[in-house]
Amino acid sequence: MKLRTSRRKFLWSASAALVGLSIKGDRPIAGSFVNDSFQMGHQLRDRSKFPQPKQIVKRAVVIVGGGIAGLSAAWRLHKLGFTDFILLEMNDQPGGNSRWGENEITAYPWAAHYVPVPGPKAVYVRELFEELGVLNNGQWEERYLCFTPQERLFLYGKWQDGIEPAIGLTASDRDQFRRLEDQIQAFRATGKFTVPMELGISLSTANLDQISFREWLHSQQMDSRILNWYMNYCCRDDYGATTGDTSAWAGIQYFASREPEEKGPLTWPEGNGWIVRRLLERVGSFVHTNQMVYRISQREKRVSILAGDTEYQAEFLIFAAPSFLAPYLIEGMAPLHDFEYSPWLTANLTLEHFPDSYGGDPTWDNVLMESPTLGYVDATHQSLRSHVERTVWTFYWALAEAPPSENRHLLLNKDWNYWKEAVLDDLERVHPDIRKCVSRIDIMRMGHAMARPKVGAIFSAERRNLAQAQGRILFANSDLSGFSIFEEAQYRGVNAADRVLGQVAR
Amino acid sequence: MGILLFITVLLIAACGLIYELIAGTLASYLLGDSVLQFSTIIGCYLFAMGIGSALSRYLDRGLAYRFVWIELLLGVIGGFSSALLFLAFAYTQGFQLLMYALVVVIGVLVGLEIPLLMRIVRDRYQFRDVVAHVLTFDYLGALGASLLFPILLVPYLGLVRSAMLFGIVNVAVALWGTFLFASQIASVRALRIMCVVVLCGLGIGLAEAKRITVAAEDNIYADEIIFARDTRYQQIVLTRFKDDIRLFLSSHLQFSSRDEYRYHEALVHPGLSAVPAPRRVLVLGGGDGLAVREILKYPQIESVTLVDLDPEMTHLFSTHPMLTALNQKSFSSPKVHILNADAFPWVDSNTDSFDFIVIDFPDPTNYSLGKLYTTAFYKAAARHLSAQGLMVVQSTSPMFARDSYWCIAQTLKQAGLETHPYHVYVPSFGEWGFVIASYREYQLPTTVPKGLRFLSVAGLPALFQFPPDMSPLPMPPNRLNDQVLVRAYDQDWKDISH
Repeated sequence: MKLRTSRRKFLWSASAALVGLSIKGDRPIAGSFVNDSFQMGHQLRDRSKFPQPKQIVKRAVVIVGGGIAGLSAAWRLHKLGFTDFILLEMNDQPGGNSRWGENEITAYPWAAHYVPVPGPKAVYVRELFEELGVLNNGQWEERYLCFTPQERLFLYGKWQDGIEPAIGLTASDRDQFRRLEDQIQAFRATGKFTVPMELGISLSTANLDQISFREWLHSQQMDSRILNWYMNYCCRDDYGATTGDTSAWAGIQYFASREPEEKGPLTWPEGNGWIVRRLLERVGSFVHTNQMVYRISQREKRVSILAGDTEYQAEFLIFAAPSFLAPYLIEGMAPLHDFEYSPWLTANLTLEHFPDSYGGDPTWDNVLMESPTLGYVDATHQSLRSHVERTVWTFYWALAEAPPSENRHLLLNKDWNYWKEAVLDDLERVHPDIRKCVSRIDIMRMGHAMARPKVGAIFSAERRNLAQAQGRILFANSDLSGFSIFEEAQYRGVNAADRVLGQVAR
Repeated sequence: MGILLFITVLLIAACGLIYELIAGTLASYLLGDSVLQFSTIIGCYLFAMGIGSALSRYLDRGLAYRFVWIELLLGVIGGFSSALLFLAFAYTQGFQLLMYALVVVIGVLVGLEIPLLMRIVRDRYQFRDVVAHVLTFDYLGALGASLLFPILLVPYLGLVRSAMLFGIVNVAVALWGTFLFASQIASVRALRIMCVVVLCGLGIGLAEAKRITVAAEDNIYADEIIFARDTRYQQIVLTRFKDDIRLFLSSHLQFSSRDEYRYHEALVHPGLSAVPAPRRVLVLGGGDGLAVREILKYPQIESVTLVDLDPEMTHLFSTHPMLTALNQKSFSSPKVHILNADAFPWVDSNTDSFDFIVIDFPDPTNYSLGKLYTTAFYKAAARHLSAQGLMVVQSTSPMFARDSYWCIAQTLKQAGLETHPYHVYVPSFGEWGFVIASYREYQLPTTVPKGLRFLSVAGLPALFQFPPDMSPLPMPPNRLNDQVLVRAYDQDWKDISH
């Protein structure tokens, strides 16, 4: 029986070959994990032995961490004419959550891929964007605003414009969306939800930090399945957590801190990597990569920082790396309890062509309702070209559904093939022919990708104390705001630089 | 056996007639004058059949073997005849020569068929029965073919695939012949293998031919298609009806050779004649070379740079005799430099300056094309304007797509340019609009090149007058992040078609 099947198969292939057809199989897909930094992190956690320093380098200021916070601190120092500093980055590529990649088709993001059009309070963001030509005489540069069509959502077997569900709503769904909008509008009007959050935060809203966003929605009689899906999606997207794991304050902040009808967002093929590139053009010469700091000791008149075979001696240290690392590095620092992070996975898929099942006009952000992932963003969407054949999709997956430690374990222990299949299986929900289009999938695993604003995180005394720390070590990571977004990171970085400049001998 | 034999006669008769009808139809499509084409082709064909019949007397051994060979040859030559003729027309000057040669060869082979077949079977039947039956089925086959051809084959299969299909029938008859006359053929095996190979070839042809003829099945083309190709970027279709050649890109009419001079004279001269001393010109789009033809009417122009996305488009208009006649070989001028590139990235990265810029893109039917009608694009393009430079933009119809037209004008304004909208009547398009845009003041030219068929200095002012049904509408500018133009254009045409 078996023999007969294979012979028939053979004959079929042979005759197919004869008429010049080859049996079309799925494309072989290459790829690997990229930018892994688990090992370095675990060395720190396990307090491995590090070499003795062979040289001493003295700088007035040392910045640890080359993400947006650290680079923004450097940008600020440099812009104010201060150059006696150095920035130490653990990875071989600076940028942190704004790192990017590039292949022969396009540049593409590895994580953060946009900045909402900043409001009037985000003065440092606006200043930077004016410097970079993103904001010219009050006008946002057209080619950096997300091209149309921006977003779409797949639900009930079809695509709709925009991510907020608009089709198949019941009267009750509509009513709840409307009531939520009114509530958000009222919160917005209080001026207590701002970007950066530090400028508006008020104790009068602290009660919202004591319950989860899910509980708050429930308390407002907002039980619509569709509304809750959308809120959950927003929390997963911005915080990597479900509404149940997000502080109601943070859930409200997501909406109330921004104007409802802002055009944008601002985006680039490589996402916020574009901003990193521009920052590196300015301060790149101060940035030292592959410098894993493993010991920080505070002396009376200086800070000693050990990295590789070098001891850096500085008057001030700006700690811009994720704050949870600090207790592992800084001698005598007590452990932190209020800082939790969401694990993420991003995949960059190289497509040889768009799937036939694409459906509609090429869109920037593509979200699937029936999926635990966040969907995918098209890196060539901001291309000026009229004709795009090959492209890169950045696929985002915040592992929000189980405790972070469990998901970190999963991230670490499953191989590339497992995650590749998971990504493709998810996309097959809407693009059954996706395997015929994809030639490569690179995957980046981040165990501690984004600060998670769990219940109590925003008004945590620990967080506030770290943010306001006096002395020779200043903290600057966006997690001091309770959540990781570009504007918070930049604000914290600039703020730390300003506080250092107020004290440092020039 | 008897009936099967005579069905063979019916089939080969049908094949022969189909090839003849295809040649006649193709010649009428491509060359026009169907009476002349059909008469000469039928004449040649019948005459060639006579030659074939006459030659049959020189064959006296291995008749069955030869009959199978003739069927095979007919299958190959007839089957590919239509595809070959289409290609010859598109790429060579020798279409007519090839066509009559094919008609004669097929005619000779068909002429051989019946006499040979009669002689093969003469021992099995009475002579008068053979003649009666063979001729009866021969004429029946002809009737079937002549009915099948206009009713089913041309509308549903097209010429290329019809020929292939009947090529397959011929070869099938050959294969069948090897069984029918097995006893009279020595090397049956080799012949059968040959038949199978040829069948596969024609089968592939039939499958692939769909790509060439898929356009023909699209009934938007009122006239006969003389060239159709799906390039990487678009579908190029050329049609012809008598002396009118029309170009369609992805189903959108680009020009009709009868009145394109109105469009291209109006596109180029109101702007270019107003530039005091034009030396360098840039054309974005315009891969048909017709705007360049107009530009080359200014002897003082030293260089014309043409940026068009599709190399197959510029190649076609550089080489096809019918098209180079239309653009007066403008692409062969040593002044003309053709670049095949995506226009927006090109204008964004190039730094040359030009005295006149022609922007002649397909209408903004989708967001990809819409990018080429945005403030961002016009700003990038206008950076190439020299101090005396002017720019002209193809801007859709102010009559049928009034919102779109004024949206484009507003977009140019928003890009910081002074705008001068005008329009012209092109019969195949209707009222069509352009906008001259510049950083400097524009004044109507006082001279235009000699020998224009439409435009004159006296007629110019009227082009800049907009009657009430085309007068300006307040429209927002088209930007990359909203592309209001694409939606307006879509709506404009929906409004008309309802």
